[in-house]
Amino acid sequence: MRTSRTRLALTATAGLALLSVAACGSSGGSTSTTASSAGGSSAAPVSAGASQVAVALTSGSSGDTCQLDHAQAAAGPVTFTVTNKDAASLTEVELISDQRILGEKENLAPGLAPVSFTVTLGGGSYQLYCPGAATENLTFTVTGAPATSATGDAATLLAAGTKEYAAYAAQTLAGMQTAVGALETAVASGDVAAAKKQYALARPFYEKVESAVEGFVLPGTKPGDNKGNLDYLIDMRASTLDPAVGWHGFHAIERDLWRGGAITASTKAQAAQLRSDTAKLASLATALTYQPEDLANGAAGLLEEVQSNKIRGEEELYSHLDLVDFAANLEGAEQAFAFLKPGLSKLDPALTATVATQFDRVVASLQTYRDTSQVGGYAAWTPALRSTDAAALSKAVQALQDPLSQIAQKVATAQ
Amino acid sequence: MTDTDRPTPGVGRRRFFQGAAGGAALGALAAGGTARAVSAQGATATSAEDDRELVDLTGQYRFFDQAHPPGVATLPQRHALYMTFDMVDGSTRAALQALLARWTAAISVLMAGRPIGQVRPSRDEAVGQDTGEAVGLAPATLTVTVGLGPGLFDQRFGLATHKPELLAALPQLPSDKLTPETTGGDLSLQVCSDDPQVSYHAVRNLARMARDTVATRWTVNGFGRASAGPGQQTPRNLLGFKDGTRNLRQPVELDQHVWLRDAGWMTGGTYQVVRKIQMTVETWDADRVSDQEQVIGRTKVEGAPLTGRQEFDAPDFAATGAGGQPVIDPQSHVALASPENNGGVTILRRGYNYTDGIDQYGQLDAGLLFIAYMNDPDSFVRLQRKLGASDALNEYISHVGSGIFAIPPTPASGHYIGEQLFT
Repeated sequence: MRTSRTRLALTATAGLALLSVAACGSSGGSTSTTASSAGGSSAAPVSAGASQVAVALTSGSSGDTCQLDHAQAAAGPVTFTVTNKDAASLTEVELISDQRILGEKENLAPGLAPVSFTVTLGGGSYQLYCPGAATENLTFTVTGAPATSATGDAATLLAAGTKEYAAYAAQTLAGMQTAVGALETAVASGDVAAAKKQYALARPFYEKVESAVEGFVLPGTKPGDNKGNLDYLIDMRASTLDPAVGWHGFHAIERDLWRGGAITASTKAQAAQLRSDTAKLASLATALTYQPEDLANGAAGLLEEVQSNKIRGEEELYSHLDLVDFAANLEGAEQAFAFLKPGLSKLDPALTATVATQFDRVVASLQTYRDTSQVGGYAAWTPALRSTDAAALSKAVQALQDPLSQIAQKVATAQ
Repeated sequence: MTDTDRPTPGVGRRRFFQGAAGGAALGALAAGGTARAVSAQGATATSAEDDRELVDLTGQYRFFDQAHPPGVATLPQRHALYMTFDMVDGSTRAALQALLARWTAAISVLMAGRPIGQVRPSRDEAVGQDTGEAVGLAPATLTVTVGLGPGLFDQRFGLATHKPELLAALPQLPSDKLTPETTGGDLSLQVCSDDPQVSYHAVRNLARMARDTVATRWTVNGFGRASAGPGQQTPRNLLGFKDGTRNLRQPVELDQHVWLRDAGWMTGGTYQVVRKIQMTVETWDADRVSDQEQVIGRTKVEGAPLTGRQEFDAPDFAATGAGGQPVIDPQSHVALASPENNGGVTILRRGYNYTDGIDQYGQLDAGLLFIAYMNDPDSFVRLQRKLGASDALNEYISHVGSGIFAIPPTPASGHYIGEQLFT
């Protein structure tokens, strides 16, 4: 996955316009109208301490429609109860203020019981957004004192989460420097067994944060030139080999240790260069700041890595340590999700719970491959094991990828 | 004939006639001068026979408020995609309920030829709700038939009391060579249309919206229909023989043999048996055609029973030849499968030819995706017990995949498939 992150040169004053593309989602393409129903002009009745608003999804001659029984309410708690009568193409309703999602319901379908959400609203204008409806945006007006901060909670929590994630990423890269240093020392000693062990210990650091740092290039590098691409220099592999630049980084060392079974002068030079490239990467990354959607897209990117490279055994072609990388990708993704979770669960508790459940399932599946007798702590992901087990693991990951891919738009609109 | 069976023609539907010159070209293979072909030859004829060669991609079927589920009595479309699913471990009754409701809504939209949501979301950070590959394509007479497997009614979802009365795993049958990878499933989708891309889009998006609840189990991609509905020319299976000459066609026959009556919430529905039947087509091709005809019990080109001259002549199983031997071998496929020899048992076949490429032995991997509908699965069991035990064709075919599913009736608008299970 390409994130919206732009490539960053080493010399640039890093950190400023990193995230110019992080668009606050523009909602709906169609124009906004006020609710046209008869009850639209009176304020919603109050019951059980909240204004009660019914949202009806129905099919009509000009497409499925979304209607409010009251387009106004007094400031305070408002409960929206959504009934999908027969609108087969509508599955989602959101309450939006200035492009921020305040509350929503998904998985709506005709025949299911009505569902409701309650939000506390201050005076002002809001939109009810029904993607796919003939009129996608309905105006909802609240009279009374304006809110102090309608989504302050979620937005603040998400912002805090991004700062914590930045610390996690920096800490991981610091750990990587230490581990790569130990790998270089072991390689320099000429001890193949020790070097293999250190290789397996160093790999997970990069795999945990890869999606956050994979865009870095050395200064003066032309687009597309792998000579200055730090991700290439650190993590290229046989299937991504650029013959003009040649073998570098982790997998050049892996190839020598496992396939060649020997440490050569070239292996030692590769280990030294890996150490130097890792230091450059870590120093660049200290300037990084993140938006909530970067965490979401980064987590999705790590799972794409699992699906595309690890499960297929392509990443660790010689050592078969793919499950070690898998575990690290998964941990990195789960961390990013964990930092979003406090804010996300205010915006969309159902999605948060679904993603959490799916993470648990993948973690549990992977856990069955734990084998402490192996370098790296997981069973070797050999072609034989892949042929029997890859499909089930792949399905478990896909079941996580799909709901996870919904998160970015939720948190991006909550800023 | 209801809306379920014949498509609503699109605006500006074009009729393609064979024309004066084209009439003869109906196909040396197909026509062979049968009464049906002759009646269709006139350049101005607009009888049902014309439709058999007509592919009208603008045709569409209504989903809601029909007497029976789509894709059963529906005139067989040209292509089929069949996929089964398992409920993933730990998925809940509520998740199954939401899945059936969302599948129902999405199927109704897909059958109308519309995307199931935004292809290009209005938010930059959003993934598409619809994957987009059917944008600009016509409905192509798409039907999606949802099946509920016996496993759904085990202890997992508390649905045991609602189990359709005759739904149970098929018993082991003679000659079964089933592989677990192509057998069973908690849910199934039979997706048929006249445009394979439309079918693929449907199954892909239905699988996608359900991925946290169900996992794919097996699939077969059927590329050509191997059974006919009313007015359709009898198509050929990959053995090169017409398949389904004596298939059920009339509504009254379906009422008798296919649709469920007085079956509670399943009334109006049916049972589906699916078998993936591998054919060793290269070995078959090396057999002399006269022997192939003995194996099947019919002539290859015309499709006539060996006791008759034309395709729709009734076979005479009592007729004997010069040496006193039956003309139609009692172990031929036709003799063993015929209702006359099975106490009137008969089923609606709705199969498709498939290929899986080349197998591990370097042979063409192909066969018949056998799909049949019946109001009592024991009808299939009785037929296959006999066929599996002694069919001369068994030398050339293997049943490698299998499934049985209850096909619930179509919901009314505003409701969903299987809604009665959750009330």
